[in-house]
Amino acid sequence: MTLTHGCGCAGNPLIPKSCTILKITEETPDVKTFRLRAADGTKPFAPMPGQLAMISLAGVGEAMFSVTAQGDDWIESSIKRVGELTEALHDAGEGDRLGVRGPYGNHFPASSLKGKNLLFVGGGIGIAPVRSLILYALERRADYGDIDVLYGSRSYADLVFKEDLFENWPGALGTHITVDAGESCWQGHVGFVPAYLEEMAFSPENRACILCGPPIMIKFCLAALEKMGFSKENIITTLEMRMKCGIGKCGRCNIGSKYVCLDGPVFTMAELDELPDEK
Amino acid sequence: MDKNTKLIQKTALPDALAALLPDYRVFAPAGENERLAFTRIDAQNAFALCLSGTPLMPPKELLFPRSETLYGTDIKTGDVSLPQTAGPTAVFGVRPCDAHGIANLDCAFLEKGYVDSAYAARREALTLIVLACAQIPYETCFCDSMGGGPAGSEGADVLLTETEDGSALVAAFLTGKGRAVKALWAAAGLLSDTGADATTKSANPAKAPPPCNLRISKDKGLAAKIAAAFDDPMWARFSEACLGCGTCSFVCPTCYCFDLDSENRGGTAEEFRCWDCCMFSDYSRMAGGHNPRPTKKERLRNRYLHKLAYFDERYGRTLCVGCGRCIGKCPAGLDIAAVIEWGGTL
Ligand code: SF4
Ligand code: SF4
Ligand code: FES
Repeated sequence: MTLTHGCGCAGNPLIPKSCTILKITEETPDVKTFRLRAADGTKPFAPMPGQLAMISLAGVGEAMFSVTAQGDDWIESSIKRVGELTEALHDAGEGDRLGVRGPYGNHFPASSLKGKNLLFVGGGIGIAPVRSLILYALERRADYGDIDVLYGSRSYADLVFKEDLFENWPGALGTHITVDAGESCWQGHVGFVPAYLEEMAFSPENRACILCGPPIMIKFCLAALEKMGFSKENIITTLEMRMKCGIGKCGRCNIGSKYVCLDGPVFTMAELDELPDEK
Repeated sequence: MDKNTKLIQKTALPDALAALLPDYRVFAPAGENERLAFTRIDAQNAFALCLSGTPLMPPKELLFPRSETLYGTDIKTGDVSLPQTAGPTAVFGVRPCDAHGIANLDCAFLEKGYVDSAYAARREALTLIVLACAQIPYETCFCDSMGGGPAGSEGADVLLTETEDGSALVAAFLTGKGRAVKALWAAAGLLSDTGADATTKSANPAKAPPPCNLRISKDKGLAAKIAAAFDDPMWARFSEACLGCGTCSFVCPTCYCFDLDSENRGGTAEEFRCWDCCMFSDYSRMAGGHNPRPTKKERLRNRYLHKLAYFDERYGRTLCVGCGRCIGKCPAGLDIAAVIEWGGTL
């Protein structure tokens, strides 16, 4: 099997497609969502939920991001400002050019999750990788059972995708939003995600949990979920690893004999237990 | 008589290189002692060929350069331009371990889904003329413990083996690419029959190669055993003296980790790839600062396990061909052969 990356750049899978920034949404003080279309007016590629895109700025560098949404002729990634490249991306404006290659990696098991209740648990920017699956399930609402999103951030300002959380999703799915510390502008739940999760006491019955966030949150949520009776096979997460090539060659992203860019980023907790402890 | 096995006199080797020049970029070991390196051969320097010793740097870089431009991006328009690809290339005097190493690189760059097209184009254009070791070049050579040997033919298009009296080489033309070389050498009148005859065994004039200097026992179950020893306290011991200098992977014929980066040159961003090394502290450090392999213990363990277990799991081969370079050149005396032996005892 030879994989292609939907680019056609002389067949070199490391060469990106030139894309235009259609729209930039400021989600939080340090997260922006970039809507991207190929310079020739087409969709850069059609990823499955959870797949990755390598986004580059000529002369600066490239890095891997999850694709959080897609439309007829665009894909979206939500990018947190953490380093040189993301800084430069945050400085870019609508109409600017950047490079995109992908899609990379495996994806959420959207079809084997059919018929199940879905519980999404996210913290901070950790909602970005799961948003693609939430949107996918909403488009096929009848295929899935109950859908709940339990999501928290440090503060109200740090909640990513406020439009989804407070306007688009309520009604179509259960939203359970929390912030770490109380503030005057916030009427909702206050407290950390793991504690809120335990409070909510979701039944593990026919339910899969998709869990993404900072390592410490994952750790405590995992303990809470196991206490609630979830098996590790039914807890799905995405891994972050430094990546360079995205195609299983550069050696950067391995955990044991698995490459996160090919065999990941989506793993069940049961699969992660099989891998050496180097995440 | 095997029509693809011929004899070539050692005195004719400069002519043999010259005969390739019209059709290939030719590389061969040239230079004295420490300076011995695969060198571009032209009509003037073909006689500088040196067949004793092994160049410190394997010919890997003809396929996978230390640094190469993958493409250029016009910063204003976003237009992408591709570099020229080099034409047919023949490399003469490759040691069997290094050819074996290239067979390993082929797995990494050409198999399991994606094909690395820059590598694939160069590989397609590369002919390997391998020279069996009549003397074992390094004290630390252990290729015959690693599935190869001083006369191993894996990856070779042509295999040259010294005759008993050392005056000539028996040339076996093993592949289509090898037979293209044969045609050029034959046209130049450089080949003669070996005199070998299937009925008289003794007439094969090729000398049996000597054994390697370093003999180790590599356990058949090494990959599984050593991977299971992930938490063994020995990793801390092995890595104690490591300086994280990266010499081991720099000289290794099978190491292939790379970095991708971008450099702004005038109005064009040059996107290049260059060798990288898993022993460097920032190798897996993420933009947010988290490093899954924070100390030399984790890094060395990953290096050895990649070579001895993970690569085997993925491609069915060990990613060490026993060339001995890293053992000879490590300033801290780290020794992969000792790790292989240890893994077998687990
Ligand atoms: S050559 Fe030796 S000291 Fe240098 S990184 Fe390799 S093992 Fe460590
Ligand atoms: S690991 Fe060392 S001995 Fe093995 S192939 Fe590489 S340089 Fe040679
Ligand atoms: S990013 Fe290069 S191997 Fe995964």
